[in-house]
Amino acid sequence: MSTKRIRKELADLGRDPPTSCSAGPVGDDLYHWQASIMGPPDSPYAGGVFFLSIHFPTDYPFKPPKIAFTTKIYHPNINGNGNICLDILKDQWSPALTISKVLLSICSLLTDANPDDPLVPEIAHIYKQDRAKYEATAREWTKKYAV
Amino acid sequence: MSRAVPINVKVVASESLYKRDVFRQPDPFAVITVDGSQTKTTKTAKKTLNPYWNETFTFQALEDSILVIQVFDQKKFKKKDQGFLGVVNVRIGDVIDLSLPNSEETITRDLKKSNENLAVSGKIIVVISHNSNGNSTASSGSRTAPSGPPNSLSNGNSATSASTNTNSGLMATTPAHAPQNNRQLSSFEDQYGRLPPGWERRTDNFGRTYYVDHNSRTTTWQRPTLEQSEYERGQERQNTTEAERRQHRGRTLPGEGPQSPMLTHSGNSSTNGGITVNSTAGNASLSPAAAVSMAATGGTTSGLGELPSGWEQRFTNEGRPYFVDHNTRTTTWVDPRRQQYIRTFGPNTTIQQQPVSQLGPLPSGWEMRLTNTARVYFVDHNTKTTTWDDPRLPSSLDQNVPQYKRDFRRKVIYFRSQPALRILPGQCHIKVRRDHIFEDSYQEIMRQTPEDLKKRLMIKFDGEEGLDYGGVSREFFFLLSHDMFNPFYCLFEYSSHDNYTLQINPHSGINPEHLNYFKFIGRVVGLGVFHRRFLDAFFIGALYKMMLRKKVILQDMEGVDAEFYRSLKWICDNDITDVLDLTFTAEDDRFGEIVEVDLKPDGRDIEVTEENKHEYVELISDWKIVKRVEEQFKAFMDGFNELIPQELVNVFDERELELLIGGLAEIDVEDWKKHTDYRGYQESDQVIQWFWQCIKEWDSEQKARLLQFTTGTSRIPVNGFKDLQGSDGPRRFTIEKAGEPNQLPKSHTCFNRVDLPPYSNYESLKQKLTLAVEETVGFGQE
Repeated sequence: MSTKRIRKELADLGRDPPTSCSAGPVGDDLYHWQASIMGPPDSPYAGGVFFLSIHFPTDYPFKPPKIAFTTKIYHPNINGNGNICLDILKDQWSPALTISKVLLSICSLLTDANPDDPLVPEIAHIYKQDRAKYEATAREWTKKYAV
Repeated sequence: MSRAVPINVKVVASESLYKRDVFRQPDPFAVITVDGSQTKTTKTAKKTLNPYWNETFTFQALEDSILVIQVFDQKKFKKKDQGFLGVVNVRIGDVIDLSLPNSEETITRDLKKSNENLAVSGKIIVVISHNSNGNSTASSGSRTAPSGPPNSLSNGNSATSASTNTNSGLMATTPAHAPQNNRQLSSFEDQYGRLPPGWERRTDNFGRTYYVDHNSRTTTWQRPTLEQSEYERGQERQNTTEAERRQHRGRTLPGEGPQSPMLTHSGNSSTNGGITVNSTAGNASLSPAAAVSMAATGGTTSGLGELPSGWEQRFTNEGRPYFVDHNTRTTTWVDPRRQQYIRTFGPNTTIQQQPVSQLGPLPSGWEMRLTNTARVYFVDHNTKTTTWDDPRLPSSLDQNVPQYKRDFRRKVIYFRSQPALRILPGQCHIKVRRDHIFEDSYQEIMRQTPEDLKKRLMIKFDGEEGLDYGGVSREFFFLLSHDMFNPFYCLFEYSSHDNYTLQINPHSGINPEHLNYFKFIGRVVGLGVFHRRFLDAFFIGALYKMMLRKKVILQDMEGVDAEFYRSLKWICDNDITDVLDLTFTAEDDRFGEIVEVDLKPDGRDIEVTEENKHEYVELISDWKIVKRVEEQFKAFMDGFNELIPQELVNVFDERELELLIGGLAEIDVEDWKKHTDYRGYQESDQVIQWFWQCIKEWDSEQKARLLQFTTGTSRIPVNGFKDLQGSDGPRRFTIEKAGEPNQLPKSHTCFNRVDLPPYSNYESLKQKLTLAVEETVGFGQE
């Protein structure tokens, strides 16, 4: 099931590419993709290009893809290894979701962080207490690692 | 050198192979495996003891990678030993230096024996080389580039190919920014650094990381640290084993008493190879089992009056009484004074009496019971009905027959009383070395006939004193179950539901002998049940159902793979038109190679639609749980049924079968309560107090059944309820306020959670909870 579905998603991405995101296989391994996300203009990540690695499980789409940032990013729901805390990549996954939809969700996570379910409690704390400081650090990291 | 690099292995030839047959020469071929995960096969050479293959294969290898080459006879590959002709094991780093840009070495090695100990001779010649073209980090990326973009990208797809280009550009120019997880880590290190010597990091079928300790041949989910010495780790392991051993010894079955109430000693003396302590002589015959089983095991016969005329009581050399019927010149273990007669009420109301033994066994799943007025009636566990009529005789009308009641204790007593489960005269000697328990037991148990294995078990650990009056065989089953189910051997693996229920590893075929091992394991499970010894092992619920020849359904998937289950449930609950792009196929990851499997004939050409989706869900569940391990399961059951006839085990349901194999642990309700979370309730709420009151009133089996209902297994973590695991890591037992007071409680085994409606009184709670736990057979309950 997975090969056919992944090929279809790839074709759909080519036909109707989502704004500010792109994705495709690395080399000839259909189960390993790389994706990029442009930092949303209304966020401290604006101007940056963030890369992600995508690994499809054999049981895809019955199981969620494993997605992680490969570009360093300062965000309460993304940790130092690039792991993302996002419910649709865990227990809220459904086989109707696609890479395109997941990438868009990650984009909106960049605009609206979820500090109440943090992966990095320190960043979440700053986010809540001192929003300006959080935005300054996020901008700084973006400039340093993603431009 | 921590990055896998491509190496070439040229299998040139073998010479002077062992001639196993007098009249023919083998058709040899070689199977080449690197790290157990990459496998290649040579062509078959015909009728020769000196095959010449000269074939080259490419593998990804590290310095510490192990290359295994096995030679087999193609003509005998279907046979038990698969025509095994020898094996060599080579560590890549011992032959070539991967840090050099290129190297090549030719080696000639003697073929070695396998565990089977079949005679082997001859040599094998292999050339191992690698050529990394200078910078090895760039090579793996650029290697794929000249071959052009894959088909899916070549149809002018500018958006994706552009992004791929940018990506590779980024990879090349800013490697410093890449986080650690971008670097390929060898299996001997992770992001926290190197593992201690002898340890290896592996990932299982579910993508979970676990650690293999090659020093002790054990596996663990916990990452070992360098700070902890090998000694400390050994101590820790020993402490855990000791706690598990205590728990194992405390297990019982209703009506059979604890296995070792008088065992005064901790296992220390036994593990040190000294004297094994045994103080529980013959507790089987002391057990308070009912008369039926007393007759079977030779209980006392005093007070029963005289034997019928022509009968005589004698004793075997072991002191077991048996009965001689001089009228018919036959002997039997069954005391004729305890012989049960079946009264049937014929059409003309005359009472006919027939001794039970002349009618043969009851049909599969049936049990015979007595009312309190000693009248015989029959219980059909298949349909959960009762009848006065013996199913082996023509029927008459049923009146006032007792209501069906599931009664595990009665079932066990009935089961034990069956002639097929009686211990045969004589002794079955099994001698094993403690530290080679798996291979020694395999040799000992497989060389004996099933009839031999039904004799009194006499287990002996090599170099240890002590006669087996029960204690030694308990220790034997404890140790053996730890070893043979160890995922290290790739025969069984842990389910994704939690970290301790076991399922058959669908890829066990990596071990060419695997089916023999499954048959062996089936025999051991049967042997434990036959001789009333418990295994320290718990399977996924579906496996018990399969052992009872019951159909596996979607709910059983919850205990196998919770994520997969949720997606299948989603398919059932939602309209899938134009959402999913599925055909009637499954994909199997066979060591990195994705193989498409049809779920029904021409499945790959049949779309899954809203109309046929339920058929698809049924077929894929069946494939995931049953079909993929069909061969292994069949071998397992062949072994099991050699000791335990199928029709006898069928009186049990799947939850009872788990207890029959693993025993029943005493459950500490205080510990359970202490580590319980509440959602919508508080511990002080009346309903919650009733809940715990009800559980305290229940017997061990009912408590175990509630655990099975809510967590999917009766197993309790060895350190108590605080370590309870769910499908996604530690999950405490949880009671959630949900449902209406007229509904039954529901359970979510993925999350160890029970949904308890706010019942208005104690009787109502007790009745509903009992009904839910009793009547909802099948493990996964949504």
